[in-house]
This record gives sequence, C-alpha cells and structure tokens, in this order.
Amino acid sequence: MRIALIVAAIVVFIVLANSLYVVNEPEQVIVTQFGEPIGDPIIEPGLKFKTPFIQRVHRFDRRFLEWNGDANELPTRDKRFIWVDTYARWRITDPLLFFQRLRDENGAQSRLDDILDGETRNAIANHDLVEVIRSTNREPVETNLTIEEQTVLEDIETGRLAIQAMILEASQERTEDLGIEILDVRFQRINYVEEVRQRVYERMISERQRIADRFRSEGQGEAQRIRGERDRDLKEIESEAYRTAQTIIGEADAEAARIFAGAYDRSQQTRDFYEFLKTMETFQNTIDQKTSLILSTDGDFTRFLTSPETP
Amino acid sequence: MSDGGFDDLRDVRVPRPPMRVIGLAALVIVAIAIVWSSFYTVGPEENGVVLRFGEYVRTTDPGLQFKLPLGIERVYKIPVQRQLKEEFGFQTVRAGVRSQFSTQGRAEEARMLTGDLNAAVVEWVVQYRIVDTYNFLFRVRNVRDTLRFMSEAIMRQVVGDRTVNEVLTVGRQEVASLVEVKLQELCDAYELGLRIDQVVLQDVNPPEPVRGAFNEVNEAQQQRERLINEAQSEYNQVIPRARGTAQQTIQQAEGYKLDRVNRAQGDAERFTELYQAYALAPEVTRKRMYLETLNDILPNVESKIVLDESLQGILPLLDLKSPGTGQTQGGR
Repeated sequence: MRIALIVAAIVVFIVLANSLYVVNEPEQVIVTQFGEPIGDPIIEPGLKFKTPFIQRVHRFDRRFLEWNGDANELPTRDKRFIWVDTYARWRITDPLLFFQRLRDENGAQSRLDDILDGETRNAIANHDLVEVIRSTNREPVETNLTIEEQTVLEDIETGRLAIQAMILEASQERTEDLGIEILDVRFQRINYVEEVRQRVYERMISERQRIADRFRSEGQGEAQRIRGERDRDLKEIESEAYRTAQTIIGEADAEAARIFAGAYDRSQQTRDFYEFLKTMETFQNTIDQKTSLILSTDGDFTRFLTSPETP
Repeated sequence: MSDGGFDDLRDVRVPRPPMRVIGLAALVIVAIAIVWSSFYTVGPEENGVVLRFGEYVRTTDPGLQFKLPLGIERVYKIPVQRQLKEEFGFQTVRAGVRSQFSTQGRAEEARMLTGDLNAAVVEWVVQYRIVDTYNFLFRVRNVRDTLRFMSEAIMRQVVGDRTVNEVLTVGRQEVASLVEVKLQELCDAYELGLRIDQVVLQDVNPPEPVRGAFNEVNEAQQQRERLINEAQSEYNQVIPRARGTAQQTIQQAEGYKLDRVNRAQGDAERFTELYQAYALAPEVTRKRMYLETLNDILPNVESKIVLDESLQGILPLLDLKSPGTGQTQGGR
C-alpha cells in the first residue's frame, strides 16, 4: 500500500515537472507538438503549463542581442585596403518565424554574418575612404600650426553615419522574413591594412618634417625681422632726437639773436655803444701778459705822452 | 538470517529508527531550507531585483530582505552605486598606488584613423553606472560587450571627424566630452540602463613609428620661439636705452635753449641798463670806460713799446719773437 503511494507520488511529480515550465523575464517561448508549433509565442514571463511529454518548449531571447562580425579586409572605391570591423544589434521579433527559418541563434548569427558582411562590403566599395571615416563637414579647430600646414579636412558627400544607415537599411530588407530585426549597424573599427599603414606612416613623417622645417625657418626669419626692426628703430630714435635737439638749439640761437638785436639795434647810438663796449671787453679778454703792445704816440691814449694838449 | 546456527538470534530485533523520527528530521530539513531561502542580504551599494517564476516583481533596497522560498522567487543583486569602468587600448594589470598598465593585446582598440586619413593611437576610459536595473538585466544581453562596441564606434566616429593635430593637441577635451554625450545618447537609445559618468582620454599619441617626427615638430616649434625671444631680447636691450639717450639729448638741447635765452636776456638787460646810464653823459662815460679798460689790461702786458709817430722804420728792427712768446698784438 505504502509502495503504491510512493509510486503515485513519483508519477505525479514527473508529470508536473513535465507540464510546468517557467518563462523568464528576458525570454520568449514557443511550444511545439511533435515539431509542430502550437499557439502563439509566449512573451509574458511566469509559470506556465503545457501538455506533458508530447509538447516541447523552445526558448528564445527577447532582449536586444549583439552581433560582432570578424574584421574584413575591404577595398574602398578609391582602392584603399582597410580592415573593417562592424557590430550590429538585433532582436528576435517573431519567434515562430525565427524558429522556422533559422532554428536557433547560431543559425541567426551565421545568416547575419552573410547579410551584414555583404552589405558592409557593398557600402565600403561604393565610397571613398574619407566618406567612411568622416561624418560631418565640420571645420577643424585652428591649432598652433600655421594655416597652410593645418591638414585640411576633405569635404564629404555621404559620411560615416549615412553609410552606416545605408548598411542598416539594406540589411533590414533582407532580414524581414527571418523573424528578426536589425536595429543598428556601426563601424566598430576601421584601420589601414599593414602595407598601407607603413606608407601612411611614411607620409605622416614627411609631413611632420615639412612642418618642422617651416617652424625653424619661420623662427629664423622672424628673428631677422626683429633685428632689422631694432636697427631701424635705433636709427629712427637717434636721428629724431638729433633733429629735435638741433631744432631746439637753432631756436635758442635765433631767440638769443633776436634779444640781442632788440637791445643793440635800437639806434645808431646803441650800435656804436655796443661796438665800443664789446671792443673793450675783447681787449680785456685777449690782451694778457704774453702780449706785446706797440703803441703809437699818435693814439688816443698815448698822445698825452708827448703832449698834454688836447689836439 | 536463514535457518543456520543462529536460531537464538531470531528473536533479536535490530532497533530501527521509527518512521516518525525520519519524518520529523525531513520536516526539520525542509523547514531549514525554507527559512534559509526566504531571506537575503542586499549590500549597501546594491539593489536586489526579484523575479517570481522568472517574472520581474520588485526591486529592493540594501539591507535584509525577504522573498518567497524554494526558488519561487529569485534575486539578482546589481551594484547600482558602484562606478564601473571599461578601459580601451590598455588594461590595468594591478591597481594600486602605482598601478601597472599593459597594452598587451589591446593595441587594435586604440588604433584609429583621423579625418585627414592619418593614424592616431587613443587610449581612453569610460566610467559608468547602472541606473536602470530592469533594462540592464532584461532589455539587452551582454551589456558590457555592447558598451565596449559602442564606445569604440563612437570614439572612432568623433576622432574620424577631426584632424590628427586636433586630436593630439587642442581637441582632446572636446573629443572626450563629445564622446561622453554621444555615448550617453546611444546608451539611452539601446536601453542599456547605464549612465555614462565620464569619458577620460588617457594617452593620445601618434603611432609609434611617427612619434619621433612629431617630437621634432615640437622641438622645431620651441626653437622658433627661442630664436624669436632671443631677437626680441636683443631689441629690448638696445631700444629702451636708445630712447633714454634720445630724451637726454633733447633735454640737453632744451637746457641749452634756456641757458642761451636767459643769458641773452641778461646780457641785453645789462646792455640796456648800461646804455641808459651812458646816454646821460656819453662823451665822459665812453672815455672813462676806455681808460679803465686800458688801466686793467696794460699793467699785465710785459712788453710795451711806444713808438713816436715821427720815427719811421724802427719797427722792422724790433725782435718781436722772444722765446716762449708766440703771440703778438698790435694796437692802434
């Protein structure tokens, strides 16, 4: 009796275990019966029932899923070889269709590989490298380099964002009947392939050397200019000072001459008196010990030596 | 216990634990399991996300919390307060006061192309926090990888729109803040449930083989500044002094002018005064002044010769050049 009870309990347990199942929050589930899908996909999480043994549960992720392709070596329209590494974000929108077409996520990943790699290749091959790299036609901020050396940003027509959008759109069309939706495709990495990289490095080096040469020559030129300016300023300052000083001296002399003339040149009497006075002064200043004077008795002063009479 | 020689043992019963005891023990074990699995601790930096049969029911705060036992409710603990970090282009090998970094295997992450089709090596860090535990757990699979993909894509997008000069010098800060904004936008669009706290650019360099050439540019720039400064300094040594000297020259001329005019005025005043006195008695004054002058000068003159006008031809006989006297003066 007791054994029958235990057996019954085990049977009940197995049946329950086979008919109860949990749908987790990030999952969606379809139930199949002998491989045939039964009912709508179950999206609501929680504890669910199914017919035991004959029905099977297939779980699919309901979250946004990641796809990360292998890096591919691709040529751009301007024949440059680059490594392009893309990622995409997708989700299973129709689990039933997904189950029928792709079976599981591995199938989906490999189909996405085909679609996204192909569309990426198309998009890259149809655009120049610069279109893939740049996204806007912004003007570069001026750096401390001179304008000419400032490497100019080539203008673009399409741009990175638009190319990404193109790939996305083209891929979306091709995944419509797979029960999945691609939400975003982006270039994760774009790099030159090894041989191109070496040549780019060489170009960068020569470009830098050009800039360095320019700096050096600019420095020398500027220094020479400052020296020239120094010489010029020096001459200017000195000559201007000379000119001003001479003008002032001239003015002074002219002023003095005017003053003298005003005093001495008033009448015949003042002129005579000035002449007399100045002569006397000159005598005093010029006749000294070493002078020999030969005076004639005919002179005004010596005439009394010979005669006391006034002539 | 068959019919052997152990008949005397037939009555001995091995004592078995009574069914009641077994049942009790099982009950206790089950009770312990129920109690044990009906509470959990949420750490101070965490939030607990509770699922009942896989369905999200609530989010719980730090502390001791209860849940339905035996796997009916399950808990995910999410460190919402902790700042998380993703490194790109390098890896912290050992954090500490002197952290060690390695770029081993991360070189590809840092290599990128700039808008002028040059190459640059950019290393950066994204600091973020989980703000929406529901989205973080249930909207996106593999949030961390997704964030890394996004971050690389955005950084390359931003760097790809700038010249290599910008990225290496003036644009650094701008690149970091722009990436931060765009990454946050993308996080919101992807419903990752993350908030980007900060994007920090670490080393931003030209690729290794080109680095020397970039340094050369810096040196040349320094050299240019040096040459210009030297010339400027020569200029500064000379010009201000010359200006001073020029001022001196002009001031001296001004002084000369003052001196000359004042003296002239003085002389003129003196003359005028004297003339006015003279004009009162011209004859006598004139004579007086004449004689006074002679009186002043004649005593100093050593050799005085007075010639009588009537004696002719004596002049050539006079030895006018005595040794040491080089000057002769003739009078009237």
